[in-house]
Amino acid sequence: MAANGLIIDFENAGLAYGDAPETLSDVTLQLREGEFRFLTGPSGAGKTSLLKMMYLAHRPTRGRFSLFGEDASNAPREALPPLRRRIGVVFQEFRLLDHLTAFENVALPMKVAGINQNQYREDVSELLNWVGLGHRMGAKPPTLSGGEQQRVALARALVSKPDLILADEPTGNVDPAMSERIMKLFVELNKLGAAVIVATHNLRLVQTLGKPVLRISDGRVSRAPGAGGAL
Amino acid sequence: MNRPEISRPEISGAERSQSGGLGDGENHEWPKPSLFARLRREPLLPEAGAGGAPLTAVIAVISFLAVLAMASVLVINQSASKWTSELRSEITVQIKGADAAEIAAGASAALRVLEGTDGVIEATLQGEAETVALLEPWLGRGNVQAFLNIPALIEVKVTPALRGDLDLLHNRLAAAVPGATLDDHAVWHNRLATAARSGQALAFAVFLLVMAAACAISIFAARAGLAANHDIVSVLHLVGATDDFIAAEVQRRFFILGFRGAAAGLAAALIALALAAAAFRTGVGADAFLPQFSVGGWLILWLFAVPVVTCLVTALTARLTVLKTLRQQY
Repeated sequence: MAANGLIIDFENAGLAYGDAPETLSDVTLQLREGEFRFLTGPSGAGKTSLLKMMYLAHRPTRGRFSLFGEDASNAPREALPPLRRRIGVVFQEFRLLDHLTAFENVALPMKVAGINQNQYREDVSELLNWVGLGHRMGAKPPTLSGGEQQRVALARALVSKPDLILADEPTGNVDPAMSERIMKLFVELNKLGAAVIVATHNLRLVQTLGKPVLRISDGRVSRAPGAGGAL
Repeated sequence: MNRPEISRPEISGAERSQSGGLGDGENHEWPKPSLFARLRREPLLPEAGAGGAPLTAVIAVISFLAVLAMASVLVINQSASKWTSELRSEITVQIKGADAAEIAAGASAALRVLEGTDGVIEATLQGEAETVALLEPWLGRGNVQAFLNIPALIEVKVTPALRGDLDLLHNRLAAAVPGATLDDHAVWHNRLATAARSGQALAFAVFLLVMAAACAISIFAARAGLAANHDIVSVLHLVGATDDFIAAEVQRRFFILGFRGAAAGLAAALIALALAAAAFRTGVGADAFLPQFSVGGWLILWLFAVPVVTCLVTALTARLTVLKTLRQQY
């Protein structure tokens, strides 16, 4: 499995919602271990849909998609949770659970994996301190600001030490300084071995970091001019 | 986490510290949970989403009805057993005659036959006053002795062996006392047994219907809960939860709600039964025609089992509903 180092492998994949025309067409792209890609494109171009296929919220309606070397397009339903546990997702709208505290939200991936709180308590505390929310561990999301919720979502995505990190507009709700710190964080996590894809509109940050860029337009993915890396 | 395929170094605490993170360097720690907090643990699905108080109230009503239905099954069984065993251990010998002297002579002869018969435990000649009292409800007070030669009645307690074969006794009585008839209460016994079986079957059918209602309520509430918590369920899936994990969360939630409701229903039903038993003792049951019933002993144990069954039915139905719905919708 993943003997060729491929984490994501789309081949002529398409995604259509119901009977509507395809939102994504002929997607062919690969992401290897340790690679970092930005995903840019205008609103409604299909960035979120592509990410949704990557984190298995949707499966392609045609073509082939493998994740960590497993055929994810046709895998049985029971095979998906172990694959999802290897992905850390920062959702555009955070998707925190309002009735749980920041600590419990971050611990969620550990809890669903059946890990005892004694084993993850220190890790979760440390991660919340790391994102600057150590003093708000017991706060529930509705009492947190947009930026704080963003950081809780970030901590939740990282707590299970994922092999693949997917972030959908992770800097949409934070100030420019914090945006830069979050982006640098992704770069550091990438250096530690995680493959990373960050969907963003923030072209200034994209240019600053100089990482390969995938551009998506009208449901088709292409490599941005001048950007390095294979499609 | 078990990730043998990709040998990426883990993001250790030291590495995070080197990265600086997004914080201000202050360190806070999440307190160790107390034993109570660990037992209580925050549910991943909010209480309101699983029906909450209304569901508890409905389960309390269902449990109340289920306990009453089961109590009916048990009380009918208890009463019918007592009644029929009394009828089966007794026979009645009736002596008719042209006048009181003939009747008295026949009764003495019949008593001698009975005393000399193996299997007769006790033979008691009813006094005339007792016999008159038995007839008065049908003929009216003061009318019985005016119109009838009151027959003598002998109540005979017999062993099961003799009860199984009364022909010999019948023949001996017929030979000794021509006017004697022997009533083995078979007609009464059979009617009573049939009535008891019908009553029990009806009460058990009610119990099953109430359980079916519990299932229906659980299915409805579980589906409504999933619909209300669609976003939460979706997040749980995306962070790697299996259908079984989500179903177990819902099952646990319903078990707790079911337990609260079932306990309340049981308590109300026990109070109602105790009041009914007291009223029976001082009302219809007071004339000793109907056997007494009480709420105690094995009956109580059986009744305590009903809310447990209600709880399990509620929780398991919710689990199966969630598993089926998740496979269909998500």
